[in-house]
Amino acid sequence: MALLEVRNITKIFGGLVAVRDLSLDIREGEILGLIGPNGAGKSTLFNIISGFIVPNKGKILFKGESITGLRIDQIAQKGIARIFQEPTLFMQETVFENVLSGFHRHYTQPLWKVFLHTPRANSEEEDKEKKAAEIIEFMGLSTLSGELAANLPHGHQRALAIAIALATEPALLLLDEPVTGMNPTETMEMVGKIKRIRDKGITVLIVEHDMKAVMSLCDRIVVLSLGVKIAENTPADIRKDEQVIEAYLGKQVI
Amino acid sequence: MTPGLLAQLFLNALSLGSVYVLMVLGLDIIIRGTKILNFAHGQFYMLGAYMLFLLFQIMHLDFALSLVLAGLILGLVGAICYMSIFHVVRQRFTVTTTFSYRLLLSAMASVGLMMILQQGTLLLFGTEERGVKTPFPQMIDILDVRISLMRVIVILAAIVICLLLYFLMYKTTLGKILRAISYDPEAVTLAGINTRWILVFCFALGSALAGFAGGIIAPLFSVTPDMGTDVIFLSLLVLLVGGIGSYKGTILGGLLVGLALSFGFQFLGGIAELFVFLLVIAILSFRPGGLLGEAAD
Amino acid sequence: MKPPTSWKPIHKKLAAAVILIIVFAALPIFIENDYIKHLLIMACVGTILGMSFSMLFSTGLISLGAGAFYAVGAYISASLAMNAGISFWLTFPLTIIISSILALGVGAIFVRNGGIAFVIITLLFASAVVIAAGQIEFLGGWGGIIGIPRPTALGPIQFDSKMSYYYLILIILLLVVLAYYALYTSHIGRAWKAIKLSPNLAGTLGINQYSYRLLAFTIASTTAAAAGSFYAHYFQTVTPGAFSGWLSIYIQLYAVLGGLEFYVMGPAVGSLLMTFIPEYLRIIKEFEPIVTGVLLLVVILFFQGGILGTIVNATKSNGKNNGQGIHSIRSWLKKGKNTGVRES
Repeated sequence: MALLEVRNITKIFGGLVAVRDLSLDIREGEILGLIGPNGAGKSTLFNIISGFIVPNKGKILFKGESITGLRIDQIAQKGIARIFQEPTLFMQETVFENVLSGFHRHYTQPLWKVFLHTPRANSEEEDKEKKAAEIIEFMGLSTLSGELAANLPHGHQRALAIAIALATEPALLLLDEPVTGMNPTETMEMVGKIKRIRDKGITVLIVEHDMKAVMSLCDRIVVLSLGVKIAENTPADIRKDEQVIEAYLGKQVI
Repeated sequence: MTPGLLAQLFLNALSLGSVYVLMVLGLDIIIRGTKILNFAHGQFYMLGAYMLFLLFQIMHLDFALSLVLAGLILGLVGAICYMSIFHVVRQRFTVTTTFSYRLLLSAMASVGLMMILQQGTLLLFGTEERGVKTPFPQMIDILDVRISLMRVIVILAAIVICLLLYFLMYKTTLGKILRAISYDPEAVTLAGINTRWILVFCFALGSALAGFAGGIIAPLFSVTPDMGTDVIFLSLLVLLVGGIGSYKGTILGGLLVGLALSFGFQFLGGIAELFVFLLVIAILSFRPGGLLGEAAD
Repeated sequence: MKPPTSWKPIHKKLAAAVILIIVFAALPIFIENDYIKHLLIMACVGTILGMSFSMLFSTGLISLGAGAFYAVGAYISASLAMNAGISFWLTFPLTIIISSILALGVGAIFVRNGGIAFVIITLLFASAVVIAAGQIEFLGGWGGIIGIPRPTALGPIQFDSKMSYYYLILIILLLVVLAYYALYTSHIGRAWKAIKLSPNLAGTLGINQYSYRLLAFTIASTTAAAAGSFYAHYFQTVTPGAFSGWLSIYIQLYAVLGGLEFYVMGPAVGSLLMTFIPEYLRIIKEFEPIVTGVLLLVVILFFQGGILGTIVNATKSNGKNNGQGIHSIRSWLKKGKNTGVRES
């Protein structure tokens, strides 16, 4: 069952084709890896799905419904969360406030109730605070709850970015290089967490250069090269795919 | 309405518009380079007019020379202000400082500078109006239309400055850097260029344009300490109409506002400014970011 | 599990604000001088205006138009009182309703422009309001509207002394503080801040930048209009000259001087200082704008974060704030270049 369908997407930047006639499916409940050499169009595809870039041609269907051309906040409201490659956080806020902000789309109480602090509005707030604390604990940031995001080391900033995305309670989570720049121990820890995120019923699309992580994490892998899909298969088969090896120019990564 | 009056109004509009164009080009260069909304820009214009008064009226220098000197001196004043105030403000920002915070603090610093320059001039020169005698009192008669030569000179000077700026921006390496810096300051830094002096130059160039504009208008208007506050409002209006970051938009906006004001005052009287403002609102509701500007923010 | 207490500093700020308001409530008992009471009243009005500026700034928008809605509120109240003959107790809520509708309409156009364009458009709007008030005969022209009635007596309370006005504005201020506090601590306040701190991230959380900014604009403008309504019935006169462009710039000054990170206390401290300092500068009258300008520059150059920010930093100088700079530089170096994705 496809959760997200990418249908014949083409994106051209000033004459340069970033993605050409690309189609792929993300099935419900899987971890799909997106790999390819630099400039393969992975980030462009990410930005198209999350609404930062409007494609020249093609359609994106989420749960069978077209989301092409919607604003980023509308797409987020549908249940697609993404993290950015660069650590993008509310730097001058505490870790706790950062995660709490993520719950935005789940607040239902109207403005006047918030004004008056009605019991309903208060209990909604308490409920979100409890959930935020749970997510923070899940991502291993409990001791840093009151710390400013700007003061966190790099690895924890990554974890916080994922925590914020989880707070939106998405159906699909887009992860852009979640383990790049981490040491092997940190990487394995993150891989474990991403698997547990999937076990919670969240479908994951992941772009990553760390092949070891990708191979151990993904159910299926899509390989892009120069904006075109050159392979789509299980990790075991991707390893053997000649076209893929060629695309990486004989680099001994796989 | 006679064709003579129409031509007269049109010429007034063009000369007024030319001055706005010079002012706003300066503002825009400063905004694009240094990201400062400089409220003291009007005071630089006012100081430019006083410089011309000193150099041309009191010291009897040649008009063109006085004008160039007024521009250069104000450029220097701008550079000093940038180095001593805005550069320091900028250095206090960290990577996490938000855009709005940077914008607000540098704008408020310019308000402080504006207060100091304004009141300083008032104390130095007094409130009385200073007149600068026009160096070109001749009138040109074309058919039955009388045109003041001074106004034609103002328009021609503005055209010359625009052409020089075009040459600077599009035909020189410095211009290339100036344009690049407004899009991606870090890429310029990475290319090994010391952005600090480029930004000083941006600010100085913008201020020089304001000084030049003030200087050339001095023979047409009376020179007073508060002439700067009036012009800054209209310049900001022009900036908005034309679109921030578009030189063509600035020129179009300047002429449009000049026309709207000249004809507005003639036919509507005091309510003309309100009319112009409504016009701006109408333009912005259809085109956020101005006529030729890029998207807002 | 109990989350650490430090993540809700806004509670402490509220406590401080409440204590301050109690202190201020007791103040006029010790003050005989009517002029000083008048200055205190104006400082309260300034605080409300400064807070309205801060609310928009919390969404990343810089408005020079708070003075505009202050004028709009004053004029609505004044014309209602003069033409319909109703008392302050009716004009005040009516002003709030009318101006909120106006703000929604005007804001719908203004908020589409962000950044520098928004600063300019609000400044121009402020001057357009002044010109409109001066040009329209119905609003009294440049002479303004005079003879606006005082608020009618509320039972035994007569509004004939500075003292009664002082308590009236203090109550209005308190209500505004409570309402603003409720908003800032809710998901709405967090959404505003999210937009300011990172528009991209806010978008991916489902926050609609336009509608949240419009909401902030409407609430902030309505608050300013409420202050204007009080002003009209306090001065009993409204003239266009009282709302010049300088007023809007002074409102920002309150917030910057006090400290931009302090949404309530910042404007309060700034407004008190800017109301009282010029009074003591009268001796050097001609130099007053220069002194104000220099003061402003000194605060921006050496005490960024304003007076309150500087005090708070000084009291916890051994705390985390020292490390912040080093950390940010480190994360900056790691990032290499800071382009990221831009909205198209």
